[in-house]
This record gives sequence, structure tokens and C-alpha cells, in this order.
Amino acid sequence: MFDWLANPNRFNRITEKIQPYILLISGITLISGLYFGLFDSPKDYQQGDAVRIMYVHVPSAWLASFLYFTLAISCVFYLVWKHPLADLISSSIAPIGTLFSALTLVTGSLWGKPMWGTWWVWDARLTSMLVLFFFYLGYILLSNAFERKIDGSKTASVLAIVGLINLPIVKFSVDWWHTLHQPASIIKVGGPSIDDKMLLPLILMIFALSFFSLYIIILNVKTKLIEKKCEALLLKSNLEEISTTG
Amino acid sequence: MSLQSSFIQIFISHIKREFLINFRSLVDVISTISFMILIVILFILGIGPFEEKLRLISNAIFWLGLILAIIPSLEKTLQRDYDNGWLDQTITSPTPMEIILLSKSLAYWLLVIIPLVISLPLFIVLLNINLKLIPWLLISILVGGLSISLIGIIGSALTLGAKRGNILLPILIIPLIIPILIFGVGISEAVIINESPIGNLFLLIGFTLIYLVISPFISAFLVRIAISR
Amino acid sequence: MLYLTDIIINRGSKIVFNNLSAKIENSKVTIISGKNGVGKSTLLRAIAGMIPLEKGIVKNFNNEIFKDKIKWGKNLIYIDTKNGLSQDLTVYENLKTWSEMKGWGTSDDDLQKALDSVDMLNHKNLYVSQCSEGLKKRAALSRLYLSFLFDVKFWLLDEPTNELDKKSIILFNKLIKKFLENKGTVLLACHELKLFDFSYELLNLDLLKK
Repeated sequence: MFDWLANPNRFNRITEKIQPYILLISGITLISGLYFGLFDSPKDYQQGDAVRIMYVHVPSAWLASFLYFTLAISCVFYLVWKHPLADLISSSIAPIGTLFSALTLVTGSLWGKPMWGTWWVWDARLTSMLVLFFFYLGYILLSNAFERKIDGSKTASVLAIVGLINLPIVKFSVDWWHTLHQPASIIKVGGPSIDDKMLLPLILMIFALSFFSLYIIILNVKTKLIEKKCEALLLKSNLEEISTTG
Repeated sequence: MSLQSSFIQIFISHIKREFLINFRSLVDVISTISFMILIVILFILGIGPFEEKLRLISNAIFWLGLILAIIPSLEKTLQRDYDNGWLDQTITSPTPMEIILLSKSLAYWLLVIIPLVISLPLFIVLLNINLKLIPWLLISILVGGLSISLIGIIGSALTLGAKRGNILLPILIIPLIIPILIFGVGISEAVIINESPIGNLFLLIGFTLIYLVISPFISAFLVRIAISR
Repeated sequence: MLYLTDIIINRGSKIVFNNLSAKIENSKVTIISGKNGVGKSTLLRAIAGMIPLEKGIVKNFNNEIFKDKIKWGKNLIYIDTKNGLSQDLTVYENLKTWSEMKGWGTSDDDLQKALDSVDMLNHKNLYVSQCSEGLKKRAALSRLYLSFLFDVKFWLLDEPTNELDKKSIILFNKLIKKFLENKGTVLLACHELKLFDFSYELLNLDLLKK
């Protein structure tokens, strides 16, 4: 399947067709999700209007985790089947995942101020998200740390896969640490019981942001494909110049 | 004609080589211990000389000191042998790279652990550590140290030949070793409040076992990439 | 006889060799020549198994050498400009750990003889960090002597003569001649062809790549 998709021309052709639909779905769900979230959902009896931050916070958190998962899977494809497109995909996902994990942290902090009275609380989920942010950062830094692009891609891919193994353990250990030190007393963002009216905008927003990031990722991959083509052309013209003059 | 040596002999000879290199000058050993003492001093200067405060966080300081003291020496473990061409030589040897790197991380473990165990009494005095903690601290240093060196070899292999690898290494390593810190401190705290530390210990051992299995393969994969440059 | 067939090697996005084929004669010295950057070292490293081939096969008679890397590793000695010596060990310790790494149970006597073959016996307890470049090179070349004891049939040498003085070059020539008598095959990348007093085949990469 991947082999079939990995052809750049085919990738371009297929994405060309589906891109507008992706943008459309993302736009519709975003507008309706925001409407339901901001105007047509109840206030929380404890949190008041601050609960509406959840409609950005939870989808971002979900996406940050999910995108890391796809990034690592794409890295597996790159290392095992050596598809250059897989590398382009993972390096396109990385900045978006970083942004979403940063957005999660910022919204979590904004939400924390009215709720806890401080901008930051060492809540287990926020702490895990902070660690995830550094996994993203490590991936980006490492993939740019080598003289040649391909060395960075390979090495950073290995890091992403190690992260995939390690992150669940970090998540578990941070939860473990949290229960050890603070018996559950803090209200979590989007706690266990959610009103149906809150669930609808939440799901809509998850769809909206997922499709939006899919759209951006496709754009990113396309840009990189074009960049690659330019580089190849440049190299070729240089070679021809050398062979004609020398 | 002399005899061909067995697999295990080669494995041991790799560990012996690391020892020869690292214990020749005691500089590395002494600097690791001194670094750890200095970190502890900084902490205590930072929080003030209050007995109760110190008792609350002495375990955390101990583990932080341990982790921070190990990290600077991690980079050299592979980088040195990469620069001087030794890793190139080992590729043309009858031992698979996985085994060589496993022997390297075991050697590194011993190299870090021995000085830290020797200096343990000093830290017990400096940090007012409860005496009933000693056996548990020893076990957790041994197990935790092994996982740090197994992860460290991955980090060291990740930054082989990277620009500014020495700055990059801690950024890559520290997120990976968070569970070690949590489980390690968990063991000590459980002992202090008279609960069973077994749960935390098993988690730490489990974590170490995972890396014992995957670390040689991952780091060998990375070293092969680095050599093929 | 080493047969290289249709070898493709990429370095990053650059293609170094595109469908290179060559034959390297047994029990002879083959010198790889060509201008700087043509890929002499890359070819040696590829044959030694450090750089993966994108395509193509390397055969030693009928055996594909990379099918059994361990056997191939036992069968060759590779020395390049990096030498592979640890700065913190003495010349003798370096040779000893190296032969242990190869899995050879060498006696003290063997190692002494090996050091003597490149006139390094006087410097055997010198730390490599204190050695000049020439001494380092000789310390690395002392490994070659061990191949007479352990049935090594291939030497892959990258610029072995760069740092050597006249006297050491004579010793190096001697080692090669002895190796040829033992039916050994030498593959050598070098600029200075005048230094050698043995006959050799020439593998000109400039011509081959055209």
C-alpha cells in the first residue's frame, strides 16, 4: 500500500484531488465546533466559562500525541523500506506536532490560572505533554544536526522510534509519580463525566484540527517534494556545466 | 598458530579495554565524583541549611546528582572511538556490533557505578540520608545505573558526528531517563515512610530489562549509520 | 579473486559510483588510483563492509562476501588514515586489544614480533598520545604481521605510506612481499606510486568511471 502511495507523482495527483475536501471538512467542523463550543454549550458548574478552553486544549493534546504516533510509524517506514517520502512526511509532521503540544501547554496554563490560581501546576497530563514537547524538539534538533540531510533523517528517525517505546513508560511513570505525591484531588481538564452538549463540540473540534493538520502536512510534503526537485535540477545543471566547460 | 578465542573471551576483552582506557588516569573517576559533590553543594546552597527541608528532598538531590554527573561523560563513550577509528576496526571483527556495544555499556556501567558506590558514604553524611536506606540505595543505584548507561549508549550513538553533539546529548537523554528518576526516588521514599519499595523496584528493573534488550540493537543500528558516512 | 559487479554507491544525494565493475587479482597488489574525491576511500570502505552498497555484488571467487560478514571480517585487515588507535593506551596495549577484538589469542611473543616487523619494539610502551604521526602509522601497520599467523588473505590499506619515513617504507615493502608469498591480496589506495618495489596492478577510477 505504502509502496504504491510512495511514488511522488501519484502522491501529488491523489492529494491534488482530496485536498479541497479536506479543507472543506476542516472548515465546516471548525466553524460548527466553535459555535457549539463557545455559544451553545453549558458552563461548567465549577469552572464556569473557563471550561471552553477545553475545546482547544483537548483536541490539541489528542493531536499532539496522535501526530507523534504517526511520525514514529512513518519513521519505521522510512528506516525499514527506505522510502524518501516517508521521511518527508515525518519531517513535515514534526513542526505541527510541536506546535500542538505547545498549544496544549499554553491552553493548559491559561486554563490553570482561573482554576488553580497559578499559571502552571505539575499535573500529570501537563507534565507528560511537556516531555512530549521535548521529544518533538529533540527530533527536530537532531534531524538538523548533521552535515548531510540524510544522516539527520536516519538518526532522528531512530530517536522517534525510541521515543515511541519510551513515551508510554514516561506517561505511566509520571502518573505513578503523581499519585504517589498528590492523591487525586485536582480537577482534570475534561474530567471523566462530560455533558453530552460538551461532547459534541469537542468531537467536532477534534475533527476540525485533525483535518486541518492533515491539510498542512500535505502542503508541507508537497513543498518539500518541490524543494527536492529543485535541488536535483540544480545538481544536474551544475554537472552539465562542469562536463561542458571541463 | 595460536587459538581462536571464544565469543565470551572477546566480550570480556572489550570490557577490559574500556577499563584500561578509563582507569589509566583516574581523572574521569575523580571528576565524576567531584561533579556530583558540587551539584549537591549547589542544591544545598540553593535551599538553605534547613534540616527539615533537606530531609524532604535529599533523595531527589541524590538522584539528580547521580544523573547529572553521569551525563557529561556519556558523550565520550562512543565519540572517542569513533574519532580515532576504533569503531571502523570493530566492524571488521568476528563479533557483531550489538555485542560490542553491549559490552561497552556494561563497562560504562561498572565505570560509573564503582566510584559512586565508593562515594556513597560521603553522600549519606552530606545529605543526612537515613541509614535504613543504604541497601535500597545500593540496589537502586546498581539497577538505575545500568539503565542510564544503556540509554546513554543510545544517546551517545545518536549524536555521533553531530554538530554540537555535546549540547544535544542531554536534551535527547533526559526525557528518556525520567522514569528512572521517578522509580528511583520512589524506592527511597517508600522506605522512609515504612512502606514496601518492591513495587517501585520492580518497575525500575522492568524498565532496565526493556532497555537491556533494545539498546544494543538500536545503538548498533546507529553506529552502522555513523560509520557508513 | 575479487569481482565487483555493477556497484552503485550513494553518499547522501550524491552518486559516487554508478554501475562500477572491476576485478581484483588474487595474490597481487592492486593500487587504486585517481584524483582527489574520485572515491578511492569510499571504494575501500565499501569493500570492507562499512558503506552499504545501493546495488551490486562483491564476490570472492564464488562467495558473496557480505553474506557472511563475520567470515569476511576475519579474512581482512583494513587500515585507513584514522589508524584506530586509542590515545590512552600504549602501542603494545593497542595491538593486544586489537588482536583480541579480532578474536585472536595472540601470545606475547607474537605481539613482540609484530611490533618488531615495523621496528616499533623500542616504542612499545609509549602512549599513542605521545607518538608522532609516523609512529602511529607504524603502530597501526604492525597489525599486518599478525595476518601471517591467522590466515588473513586481504589487506585493504588507505594511504598507508603517507606519514612513513624511508626506512619504514622499506619495512612496509618487506611486509607486502611476504604477504604476497603467502598468497595474500592487497588493495591499496595511494598517490605515490614510486615508493613501491614490487609489481602491481593499477585500478584507475578516473578511467573506470568514464
